[in-house]
Amino acid sequence: MGKILIVDDTLFMRTLLKNILFSGGHTIAGEAGDGEEAIAKYKELKPDLVTMDVVMPKMNGIEALKGIKALDPAARVVMCTAVGQEQMVKLAIKTGAKGYIVKPFQAPKVLEEVKNVLAS
Amino acid sequence: MKEVPAKVEHNNTWVVIKLGIGEDRIVLPAPVNKEILFKTVVDVAERKNILIVTAKAESEVVVKILSVEKVLQILKKMILGTCNAYRLMAYFMSPAIRGGVMITGAQWEKGSVVVVHTGIWFVSATKQVCVPVSDVAAIELTKREVQGKPTDVVRIDHLESGEVVSSLVLCPLSTLQVLFNFLKDTTKGMDMKGTELDSVDQQVAMLIYSGMDSHAIENMLNIPHKQLDAIYDKILKLGLAEVVTIRREVQLTAKGVRYISDATKAQTN
Repeated sequence: MGKILIVDDTLFMRTLLKNILFSGGHTIAGEAGDGEEAIAKYKELKPDLVTMDVVMPKMNGIEALKGIKALDPAARVVMCTAVGQEQMVKLAIKTGAKGYIVKPFQAPKVLEEVKNVLAS
Repeated sequence: MKEVPAKVEHNNTWVVIKLGIGEDRIVLPAPVNKEILFKTVVDVAERKNILIVTAKAESEVVVKILSVEKVLQILKKMILGTCNAYRLMAYFMSPAIRGGVMITGAQWEKGSVVVVHTGIWFVSATKQVCVPVSDVAAIELTKREVQGKPTDVVRIDHLESGEVVSSLVLCPLSTLQVLFNFLKDTTKGMDMKGTELDSVDQQVAMLIYSGMDSHAIENMLNIPHKQLDAIYDKILKLGLAEVVTIRREVQLTAKGVRYISDATKAQTN
């Protein structure tokens, strides 16, 4: 079980992820609504894993991933993408993301991916 | 004519027969006693290792054939090659994308795309992949990088084990446009036009997809049970969901209240 930082610009998606992760026995370290806040919260909270939305205002998920990786090269970041964003996923994996989950979320898939990444 | 062992559904039971496969027909001997010309076949569907062939000559005939994969592969290839369907030669990649990510090692295959009543078949020398029309989520004419150049392709998104999978079709643009229009027409029953859901309804649908139960949805969206029930009615009516469980809320009768009162007393005494 891990301490997780949820990054998404919509409250609905954050709440949904929070519920799914809670049901899997994880702890929510914190939440961020954009890329800049994500980097600041990562520095402050040192979570075991970050779920990172790709499309966000101010700073997008890829830039935030780069920022977090610069702070901590071993950071475990799982990207949250929508169907049709395969190029984004490729780029994120190249940048150092450990995994991805596709919106709309399915609880078992989210928990499986988080478990795999935490075990890596 | 080659003969292969198979089971065929006959009068609601499976019977073992020697299925005859000719150049233009299949022959089902006694007790079935049927002959099906490939050119009269209007639909081919596959459920696990059962091939469902629908032919229309003077009357409609549906035959369910159960056999080993190799036999079914031969049958599919022969039937799909000459059946009464929309067919075009094309390059295809199926599956190309799973869950939003390109499948490693996916390659363009030369073959044909065959559209029958219930499915879209991708047929090549080595494989036959069927996308049931009922599983098609979207059809889009889009661009894709092929040999370093942006090229027009038709992208078919479909559901497979609850995951969105995409297949791509590549052929000359004029043919592609015809295919796109044809597929759009074939799948228009799945069209979502007129399916107007407000934002709360959409959130409920998304939460259902995520595996949340009614109680969790009520809590997450902070909506009363009656409102959720009304939204359920709406999405059920639109065919977007189906009822899987009906839960009951109950309250204790006087007998029940007496029972728990006595039980509590017994515990405290």
